[in-house]
Amino acid sequence: MRKAYVAIAIMVALAPLFAWLAEKVNYSEPLENAAEKSGVEEEKALYSGIFPDYTVPGLNPYISALITGLIGCFIIILASFIISKIKNAH
Amino acid sequence: MHIPDGYLDWWICIIMYAVSATVIAYSIKKARKEIDSRRIPMIGIVAAGIFAAQMLNWPIPGGTSAHFVGGALAAIILGPYTGVLAMTSVITLQCLIFGDGGLSALGANIFNMAIVDVFVGYAVYKALRKSNTASFLAGWLGIWMAAIACGLEIGISSIFAYKIYVTVPTMAIWHGLLGIIEGIATASVISYIKSYHPESIYVEVTA
Repeated sequence: MRKAYVAIAIMVALAPLFAWLAEKVNYSEPLENAAEKSGVEEEKALYSGIFPDYTVPGLNPYISALITGLIGCFIIILASFIISKIKNAH
Repeated sequence: MHIPDGYLDWWICIIMYAVSATVIAYSIKKARKEIDSRRIPMIGIVAAGIFAAQMLNWPIPGGTSAHFVGGALAAIILGPYTGVLAMTSVITLQCLIFGDGGLSALGANIFNMAIVDVFVGYAVYKALRKSNTASFLAGWLGIWMAAIACGLEIGISSIFAYKIYVTVPTMAIWHGLLGIIEGIATASVISYIKSYHPESIYVEVTA
């Protein structure tokens, strides 16, 4: 279990580096390529989330990637911990 | 592969929400037999690991990028039905907290990455279980089929002018290539777990 947490922490720590690399190569995903080939432009989202596109207001995108990575992992692990406690209590 | 708002016609959004909700409900029922309460923290770890891995966008020469999806990995470690639930939690969190993937397209995104990827990945792994390439092919084919499903959904939408002949080949070719990385990552993680923590891998119980 401890090794798995370490692996997750390493991946979250690498998130800013990958965010920087992605910006450097001006990447696009295959879905965006399909949209471009079909002449489709992305519309305004109906809902942008609490931290839109993994950004934290007022912070640069690299620190944002780190913080949102931590927040996401924390929420998932906390939820599984709570569910586990409830199940065990029954 | 997260479809944003505006890419799908409303009727496709509704159908995909209905199909995904049905599969999730069935998976909740089946997962009770698949995993005991002591393994619930394992679901959290797998889901958190997949969430973290999905944040790492690999830049590919030529201006394209891809990230690990992880459906096959979740299925092999947790079992297919629990895998569906773990992947659904990741994709829902990404949508609701980080706006990754449109709210209107959440049903479709769950269908592609949490249902197609998981079940195709698990079916391939189960069929080839004795082969050394089982987890590699599970990861590769799982994401490839998920990409084709995504290409079909956008290709039958009016905003894409029903250019299914463009969307499906684009998604299939790119993800067919990028899926090799998914296959290698899946095989590497499974190989490590089998070597050091074989008890962590899901074992199907036949009645």
